[in-house]
Amino acid sequence: MGEGSVDLLEVQGIDVAYGHAKVLHHVSLKLDQGEMVFIVGRNGAGKTTLLQTISGHLKPTAGCILYQGKEVHGQPVEKLARLGIRFVAQDKKVFSNLTVRGNIELASYATGEDLGQAVERLTRLYPKFQDFLGRKAGGLSGGQREILLIGRALVASPRLLLIDEPTEGLAAIVIEDIFRILMEMKQEKVSTFIVEQNLSVVSRLADRVYVMKEGKIIKEMVDPAEIRNTAELESYL
Amino acid sequence: MEITNPSTGSFSVSPLRKSLFAQDILLIGVSFVLMAFFIPLHWVIDFTIFCILVLSFDLLYGYMGRLSFGHVLYYGTGAYMASLVLLHVSRNPFLAIAAGVAAGALLAMVLGFIVLQTDGAPFALINLAFNQIGFWLIASGLQAYTKGEDGLNTTAGTLGFINFSNHPFAFGFFLVCLLLVFVLLKVFTISPYGITVRSIKENEDRVKFLGYNVFYFKWFTFVLSSTLAALPGTLFAVFYGFVAPTIISPFGNTEVIFAVLIGGAGNLYGAIIGGVVYKLMSNYLATNITRWEMLLGILLLIWVFRFRRGLTGYAWEWILRGKRKPAVEV
Repeated sequence: MGEGSVDLLEVQGIDVAYGHAKVLHHVSLKLDQGEMVFIVGRNGAGKTTLLQTISGHLKPTAGCILYQGKEVHGQPVEKLARLGIRFVAQDKKVFSNLTVRGNIELASYATGEDLGQAVERLTRLYPKFQDFLGRKAGGLSGGQREILLIGRALVASPRLLLIDEPTEGLAAIVIEDIFRILMEMKQEKVSTFIVEQNLSVVSRLADRVYVMKEGKIIKEMVDPAEIRNTAELESYL
Repeated sequence: MEITNPSTGSFSVSPLRKSLFAQDILLIGVSFVLMAFFIPLHWVIDFTIFCILVLSFDLLYGYMGRLSFGHVLYYGTGAYMASLVLLHVSRNPFLAIAAGVAAGALLAMVLGFIVLQTDGAPFALINLAFNQIGFWLIASGLQAYTKGEDGLNTTAGTLGFINFSNHPFAFGFFLVCLLLVFVLLKVFTISPYGITVRSIKENEDRVKFLGYNVFYFKWFTFVLSSTLAALPGTLFAVFYGFVAPTIISPFGNTEVIFAVLIGGAGNLYGAIIGGVVYKLMSNYLATNITRWEMLLGILLLIWVFRFRRGLTGYAWEWILRGKRKPAVEV
């Protein structure tokens, strides 16, 4: 733990299995308060499984997860969400029958945050939404859905945000929008854990990087010079 | 009118909404009164009772996305409890109605904890199983109280002008009940609570991501839906003065499901339109054709395969054609 920083999340030697198939092997990592941590690795390395385990979708078969110093593994998703852990899944699924504003409303009802404040935050993140607030979210593009999902997860200022592959399958121009939003979150010290394949995004934003391979953490990077070296990052993929 | 959201306090209905409710009440009320000029009044009374049942089912299926093959269990429970109260406690029809509704609610509160552990096909089938148990209890297990296949004959007492044997009074009272249920469900479905329930239908996991206790929302909606299903059962009992096990037969569920599909699931107007159309079809076919069930079955098959969005779904599409906004650009 760095001087003055506090471990918000600590994963200690967890194993996760789908039936008899073990997917994560003794994975340990940590995230300090206000840090933006990235996990990189090839497809099938277990990155999404790790995020799903932290968010409460999967239960580890061994090890433990500490959040603000308390064991939380095995707690249901909704309870972890109420504790301030929000998960943005990879599939970019919004509530397509609700409007953009309706999606934000749903999150603001759950958290008790003022709707106007929540909508204002969303339109500040992505001003184009000002014109789309009344439109069905099902009609948004993939990039806009991702931004809406991040905006929705930010309602009532979560303590820890987990984002799975935010730029996957998106056009370069949209990736820049998402990069800008993540940069704003970094400046506002939103504690964020991101699975990402786009090394340009990782190298410009990460405070810490974990490299995963075959269900194990094979490398931890905290040195900014090392993180900015995309060639080195790429060598692990 | 206010609905309390456990997370955020209260939700108020705006003056605009109130005026829209007034339009709804006027439209539905006038339509049913007009119907009474063209078809026998006892048919319209029957339609009104059935439409309340269909509305209650639409909340569960159309709005929350839970298909149940056991919804008439609560309808039958309401009918039998009302009849038993009329026979053994008091001939006051309002007491019978209140007792029937309370019985349906209590049963749903208990069974809700069990059936909502499941989802999809198991949910539909576990409800069917409970419905079958209820049918067996009424027809056989509790024969000493329910008179089994013979059914219960009752007469609701009169209180001044309140006389359920008087068809115009019964029609007026049942229509008010239908309108009240419609408004209640409309307020519910547009409230934050209702929006959450509709979102559970679309993606339950994502609602959990936001911190909602989804089970609580599902349980409350199940209880509300079942309680509202008990209401028409009690109205049936006080109006007809006779209930038999057929009222709780699991076969009755198909009628409710078909009515919702005809009108369009997840639309309160659709539930009422579907209820009326189904009843009209079944009544006219039964009057004119010997093997009417077969023809009804064929018509319903065509409907389910060809017109899945229901009458209101196609009506919306027709109204909105040409008015759609272009797709959002990246």
